[in-house]
Amino acid sequence: MVLVTVRLSRGATMESALRKLDLLEEDVDVGYGLVPLDPGSGLFALRVSEAGARKLGRATETDGVYSDPRIEPYGPPQQGN
Amino acid sequence: MRVLIQLRPSPDVVAAVADPAMTATTSDVADGLPGVTLDPGFLPVAVPRPVPAAPGGDPLSLNQPLVYSLAPQDASVLVRGEIADDEITARVSLLPSARRDVVGVYSDPVIETTLTCGGDAPVGDWHDIERLLRVADLAAEGMDGAGVALAITDTGINAAQVARVMGRTPVIDAAHSWTPSGVAGQAGEFPVNHGTMCAFDTLIAAPQATLLDIPVLLSQRPGGSALDGLLSDAVAAYAHLRTVLDEQPAEHRALVISNSWGSFSPEWDFPPGHPGNYSDNPAHPFNLIVGSLAQAGADILFAAGNCGRECRDGRCAYSDRPIVGANSHARVLSIAGVDANGDRVGYSSQGPGRLTARKPDICAYTHFSGSKAFGDQAPDSGTSAACPVAAGLVAAIRTQWPSSRLSPSQLRALLRRTSDDRSDVGFDYDYGYGILDVPGVVAALRRRAKRVA
Repeated sequence: MVLVTVRLSRGATMESALRKLDLLEEDVDVGYGLVPLDPGSGLFALRVSEAGARKLGRATETDGVYSDPRIEPYGPPQQGN
Repeated sequence: MRVLIQLRPSPDVVAAVADPAMTATTSDVADGLPGVTLDPGFLPVAVPRPVPAAPGGDPLSLNQPLVYSLAPQDASVLVRGEIADDEITARVSLLPSARRDVVGVYSDPVIETTLTCGGDAPVGDWHDIERLLRVADLAAEGMDGAGVALAITDTGINAAQVARVMGRTPVIDAAHSWTPSGVAGQAGEFPVNHGTMCAFDTLIAAPQATLLDIPVLLSQRPGGSALDGLLSDAVAAYAHLRTVLDEQPAEHRALVISNSWGSFSPEWDFPPGHPGNYSDNPAHPFNLIVGSLAQAGADILFAAGNCGRECRDGRCAYSDRPIVGANSHARVLSIAGVDANGDRVGYSSQGPGRLTARKPDICAYTHFSGSKAFGDQAPDSGTSAACPVAAGLVAAIRTQWPSSRLSPSQLRALLRRTSDDRSDVGFDYDYGYGILDVPGVVAALRRRAKRVA
């Protein structure tokens, strides 16, 4: 899955995000939800499947499609190279 | 970076350097080199010139019988100095053209065999760290973390383990803690692991801080595994922390966020240059929300990482510049690690950072016997431990200095400015601006208090 950002009005819902991005519920991680990134600027993030992201490739409503890399604890250091 | 500079001064100067009966100083040999801080304590050394043993030999080849000449017209002289890390490329290429007597500039690597590495025994214990951080002096100044929210974004906290080892029960604010959806467990009641170590280490300098338990690394989202998470979990956690910050009265705003995690591998990311990349892209949503939260008044600290050249973690997969993404954000403090002797641990990642070149910012202590989260003999280690040690100091400061009196950027600048510089030129990519120095911090805050009174 990838992270997608979209600009919506304050208090926006997942439903309004799906409508704006022309996506279906099955295209997104509904459990993750619609996360406000900066309340002042109306920028929100949601997790979208690879198939959903391909649909967005044709849309102009998204603010961007971003990686969602794995993060791990920085310790204890593991023996390595 | 320390360098050796090879010079070819006039023959009489070379003769004086080569003559053991005479003492020539650095200023005799090199009276100022642009961009180089010369080390006057290093006595210049004469370097012989290899010349062909047989007449007619190739003057440039080292693969033939040679004799080494210290004759004044042949030999050269070495002096030692230091060039700022972020000027090294330009200086090394410009020096020989700017000064005709400069033959070459060479690295002068630290030679030591005792850098602390992963798997090594602890260096001191948490009471030593308490002394190094002058916790008694901080408490005397009323700086103990009381009333300050300190978020641990990690694997969850086990308060009982902290209480057992530290001898006091930590304050945990369950109402403002947060878990990713699908993660079972209550704040302060997660299994003993990395997050418990981080919580313990914050409480060394800020024993009265109020911990917020944010177990982002226990994510159950598709794509993660047992003890890691996805960056999207951190995005959601930071959105929650924004609501916590916004609830606080503006005049008493204090939220410190300790992050001892990061991305080890470019495999999970779009490549640098791709618009969706995380590691090198300030426009990635997580980097945006970090900047936004810091702007709103939160102090955000990230571990620099365990990809130091001398003994890097086996998971490190970036071939260079391993301080990536938010760990190198301009509005966070990137924390490198030193042991209780003040020596950099060999696994502590070196700069430059990917979002901001001047990383790490400062060093804090690690590799000491502390929480025993990984067993009675295992140290609290990694820059994972250094980060919460520094976060504890920040929380202690916030007891008296909410962000309305000292903004996060002012506090970052103060910690950098007062740190104990480990080089001769200020910032370097091993130690950043130096090691946290509590007496310097306290003195600077007292001066500031007088100024604003």
